[in-house]
Amino acid sequence: MRDIIKAESLTKDYGSGRGVFDLSFSVRQGEVFGLVGTNGSGKTTTLRQLMGFIRPDSGSCSIFDSDCTRSSGSFMSRVGYVPGEIDFPDMGSGTSFLKLRAEYLGIKDSRYIGELVDMFRLDSDAPLKRMSKGMKQKTALVAAFMSRPDVLLLDEPSTGLDPLMRDTLTELILKEKKRGAAVLMSSHIFKELDDTADRVLFIEDGKKLDLIETGTLTAGLPKAYRVGFKSGRDIDRFLLTTKMAVTHTNRDALHIDISVQENGLEQLFGELSGFDIRYLRERPFTLEGYYTDVIEKGGKRSA
Amino acid sequence: MLSLPLLKQSIKSNSVMWGSMTGVMTLLCVQFSSLDMTRSLLFTIFYGMMTTILPGIYVLVTANKLLASQVDRGSMAYVLSTPTKRSSVTFTQAFYLVNSLVAMFGIQTLAHLLVNRVKPLALGELAYSSLAGELTSKMILQVNLSALMVCIALAAVCFMFSGVFNSTKYSIGMSGAFIGVSILANMLAMFGNLGVEGLKNFKYLTLCSFYDYQSVLAGSTDWISKLIFPAAIALAAFAAGRLVFARKDLPL
Repeated sequence: MRDIIKAESLTKDYGSGRGVFDLSFSVRQGEVFGLVGTNGSGKTTTLRQLMGFIRPDSGSCSIFDSDCTRSSGSFMSRVGYVPGEIDFPDMGSGTSFLKLRAEYLGIKDSRYIGELVDMFRLDSDAPLKRMSKGMKQKTALVAAFMSRPDVLLLDEPSTGLDPLMRDTLTELILKEKKRGAAVLMSSHIFKELDDTADRVLFIEDGKKLDLIETGTLTAGLPKAYRVGFKSGRDIDRFLLTTKMAVTHTNRDALHIDISVQENGLEQLFGELSGFDIRYLRERPFTLEGYYTDVIEKGGKRSA
Repeated sequence: MLSLPLLKQSIKSNSVMWGSMTGVMTLLCVQFSSLDMTRSLLFTIFYGMMTTILPGIYVLVTANKLLASQVDRGSMAYVLSTPTKRSSVTFTQAFYLVNSLVAMFGIQTLAHLLVNRVKPLALGELAYSSLAGELTSKMILQVNLSALMVCIALAAVCFMFSGVFNSTKYSIGMSGAFIGVSILANMLAMFGNLGVEGLKNFKYLTLCSFYDYQSVLAGSTDWISKLIFPAAIALAAFAAGRLVFARKDLPL
């Protein structure tokens, strides 16, 4: 699959450490690419440069091999964009805004727009000014997806959505991915990236921290298991004898967390055989866990 | 170059302001030109002040709404995330601004022409004037053309500020100061014309001095050569706003 979105040594310095510094990445056709970072880490600045709204100080970015700064007009009809801060033109109702947007994009057939409106259960006849945050977000999503774009740039697309709508959005993104769209989304919600993203780029203070492939992520890594014991005495007894890596002990909830290497499961069962345990379960690997374990504890900081 | 959806959007979102200003200006014009009480002041008050104050307020608010406010609020993202280029955004918005003024003056002029046909005005009736003859339709057209050109220049300067600044407070602030000074200096200079010597020099502080209804009424051609300056200023200001807007960073 070819690279659709490319960023090379993208740099935008706003002074006092803010901005984006020497950021390189690419997003392939049919790929969902996640951009994760704390507030002010440069996610929005990156997306704005891709949209051609902001000129990089140095480095470059392109979409469909067209430079984002110089010729953004050439690919805009193939790009869907959800801005981080949403405000609509002064157009009255949601419906008239969506109609105008279709005109801008040259969309004649409004059937798909209707489908999207139904999918998000959007009351598009409501006046734009009186819409709640979630309603505005849904309107912005319909506006971004309505042209079935080949590229989607989504800046925290699930902001303000209820959990049900978040799932709907996840499904929609997966559908677009399957269709072959290149999706770049920034997010705080790890769950939706977990469910959709093929690769995730972690950035902090505008610099690349880590790039992980979610598919191959779990392969070589230790797995986390949680074991529930019947009593605190059992826990003490286990801790005395075990050779496993215990990462966390909770005596109130009577459980311990164990990090198990790829072929250490047998050893775990062996050690546990003398105990009366309540449960044993694998804790699914999440980006959130990765983020807190690896990034925030500074274990893998390599700027 | 011209984006039709954007033009439609601009017409729709500015219709209230445009409609009310056009309505007020036309009503005032009809009132001043038809009522015996006010006819003598038709030029001193209506053409002397209202034809710059009312369009001045309109262009101050509208120019800001056309660019700066949409960038500030973020809604410009919805225009620029379509195949609409920045250069066609500025072209379309400037096109709207100029033509909305043309329409505003057009309606007002039409109303005045009708009133003047029904109830012609003798120039001798006018206060502070020693002219003879009747106010002709041609004169009405010429006076309004002169006023329109100055208002287009005012609009262009506000449009430039709107294109330069990303935030409404600077755009409105600079445009407001500019329009305020222009209108105030024009009024003071008018008192200067009416005999208060000390206020005469205020005419050098305002673009409105290029609007010369007295020359039209007196039958001289001064007003025609005075059209060149506001036209040149308008072109330069529109070009500057367009250039900056096309190159600057937009927080969208």
